[in-house]
Amino acid sequence: MNRRTRLVVAGICALAIAPAVAVVIVHIPAFGHHPLPYGDAINRAAGAERHVTNMVTAVNFDYRAFDTLGEELMLVAAVTGTLVLLRGRRGENVSDRAAQAGDRPVCERSEAVTLACRIFLPLIVTFGLYVILHAGLTPGGGFQGGAIVASGTLLLYLGESYSLWRRLMHSLIFDMLEAAGAIVLVLCGLLPMLSGAAFLENVLPLGQTRALLAGGLILVENAGVAVAVTAGFILLLLEFLEETRATRGGEKP
Amino acid sequence: MSYVPWATAAWLSAVGIYGVITSRHYVHLIGCLTVVQSATYVALLSVGYRFGSVAPIFYTRSPSTPAVDPVLQALVLTDIVVGATITALLLALTLQVHKKRGTVNPERLRPFRQ
Amino acid sequence: MIVLLILMFLLVAATGTGVVLAREPRRQALAIAVNGVALALLFVVLRAPDVAYSEIAVGTALVPLMFLAVLVSLKTDRPKP
Repeated sequence: MNRRTRLVVAGICALAIAPAVAVVIVHIPAFGHHPLPYGDAINRAAGAERHVTNMVTAVNFDYRAFDTLGEELMLVAAVTGTLVLLRGRRGENVSDRAAQAGDRPVCERSEAVTLACRIFLPLIVTFGLYVILHAGLTPGGGFQGGAIVASGTLLLYLGESYSLWRRLMHSLIFDMLEAAGAIVLVLCGLLPMLSGAAFLENVLPLGQTRALLAGGLILVENAGVAVAVTAGFILLLLEFLEETRATRGGEKP
Repeated sequence: MSYVPWATAAWLSAVGIYGVITSRHYVHLIGCLTVVQSATYVALLSVGYRFGSVAPIFYTRSPSTPAVDPVLQALVLTDIVVGATITALLLALTLQVHKKRGTVNPERLRPFRQ
Repeated sequence: MIVLLILMFLLVAATGTGVVLAREPRRQALAIAVNGVALALLFVVLRAPDVAYSEIAVGTALVPLMFLAVLVSLKTDRPKP
């Protein structure tokens, strides 16, 4: 169907749905005055039960750890699908030069960019590690810290040459790290069952509140998720940047 | 005041779906899908908000301070990261389409064209 | 406080509309980055710092970069005749 037909059908559907949306918006409990029974229950109980002070981490890796397991495996599946698609179509003759569009010249990196990237890369990676490690204490966790570290390593490509980025980021290592992160999370679920506890039950010693090593199994799951998310994003970036390279010898296979 | 968050979420979904319908480039279409995703984040976090509350981090406060809902925040934050990898998968599919058919215009790519 | 909340919601609606109305994909990548910053600010005002961390790292750096890499690849890639 062409564009006008699509818009007409969409308009009819919008007119049909709009009364329902309006009724929902009017009858939903007022913004800011929702009764939040589960949130209040967790805020009251989780600090004493799990010895962590970040309630979001406690929910993510302990009370609703099953959802996190599902999300993690979804991430691994999406990254695997992308890698299969991109690596499969590329073939072997890719060089390190940037691909050229027509006769537009490829610009040189300026030294200011290189200097700025060299200053910021260690800062960002350190900050990302801080965010990962302080999951149970202050805002942070594996998902956020993994994304921060992965976007920080991109400064290697931006500041230095492409060949340095390719040499330092071996895709084999990151393949293994991503799989290891997912396996750690699954093992955190299965190993408590060996001692008679439930799947994903927190059986490690909990430590003191406000210490870095508090929370028991939350720390292990957090580490697994952080490694898997970092490695997954770096793999994605590796493949997408490899797509922008010119082929060796001129002709695409 | 009470209708603003829900109206924003509804507007973002509607605008995103309109963008998907009238898009002429697949990469633009994927960007509009991220707008629809962000509408769900706004809606979920607005459900969990309470006036006069603090973030659910009790490092320096006592655990009985009124705080917002941490369950919804946990849902949204894993969703954001996984949504980005799904966007990457869609972009890889776009590259495949470009290789096979030579165009990324949805209007020129009709199925079953001989 | 209420005024700040309303302003942030309207800002997010505006940047979201901007992402859709930016028809050329290169402009849209930057519009997505701006939308990411606006969403992160909204999440901070809604008392969700963890979510704001995620949104900044992902929506401002990683997603626009993937868009730009794909656009370069589309432009320099000649399909099989």
